[in-house]
Amino acid sequence: MDPNERKYANKEITVHWKPSTCIHATTCYRELIEVFNPRNRPWINMDGASTERIIDIVRKCPTDALTYEWNEDGKVSEKPPESGLSKGSRLEEAKDQPAEIRIMKNGPYVVEGDFTIIGSDGQGLKQMLMISFCRCGASEEMPFCDGSHRIENFTNSCD
Amino acid sequence: MDNNSKKKAEFRVLKNGPLQVTGNFTLKCSEGKVIDTKEMIFLCRCGGSANKPFCDGSHRRVGLRD
Ligand code: SF4
Ligand code: FES
Ligand code: FES
Repeated sequence: MDPNERKYANKEITVHWKPSTCIHATTCYRELIEVFNPRNRPWINMDGASTERIIDIVRKCPTDALTYEWNEDGKVSEKPPESGLSKGSRLEEAKDQPAEIRIMKNGPYVVEGDFTIIGSDGQGLKQMLMISFCRCGASEEMPFCDGSHRIENFTNSCD
Repeated sequence: MDNNSKKKAEFRVLKNGPLQVTGNFTLKCSEGKVIDTKEMIFLCRCGGSANKPFCDGSHRRVGLRD
């Protein structure tokens, strides 16, 4: 289990967030900044929208960084639920697929598919299905995006 | 070279510089528009290129640090 994992609850559901799998693809905060705002602490505000809206966005997270479950008897649930995405089958699917690089508006490069990464020290980095590379120059976790592009107000889009 | 004979995509992070991409990959904008590329590309990581998404050498001026 990810020791940095956090949970956020309202009366109905508990949202779990695993920073280690979050690739800052920006899906959640582009769609629902009232709830998912990386500039705020805590960054997820469960009072910012209806439970239905929050579930909607959690389901759209491209990784399993965000998951949710219904609270039992109004109690905050301790255990993160199993991910909706099945890691095994996704790996199979991605195998031999060309890597797809998406240039996110005002954000990182999001890469999906079969690929390898070689770090700036010449060492291969661990194999991943999906990752986001910083393209704003401000990340503290180079070469990956850590969400800093928002604070930097990086603007660029090719759409 | 056709797609099938292409090798798995490789992303090489060049120190204080761009991201070199080779192998089997496609490049798209967020909304899905495909950008035609050469077989090897250098993507800007510093945010300062005037030719985004490609590197134009500006990282030296910007002072990108890994
Ligand atoms: S990976 Fe999921 S949790 Fe992380 S920023 Fe994207 S949508 Fe949000
Ligand atoms: S693009 Fe996200 S931190 Fe640079
Ligand atoms: S990395 Fe070379 S111009 Fe940005």
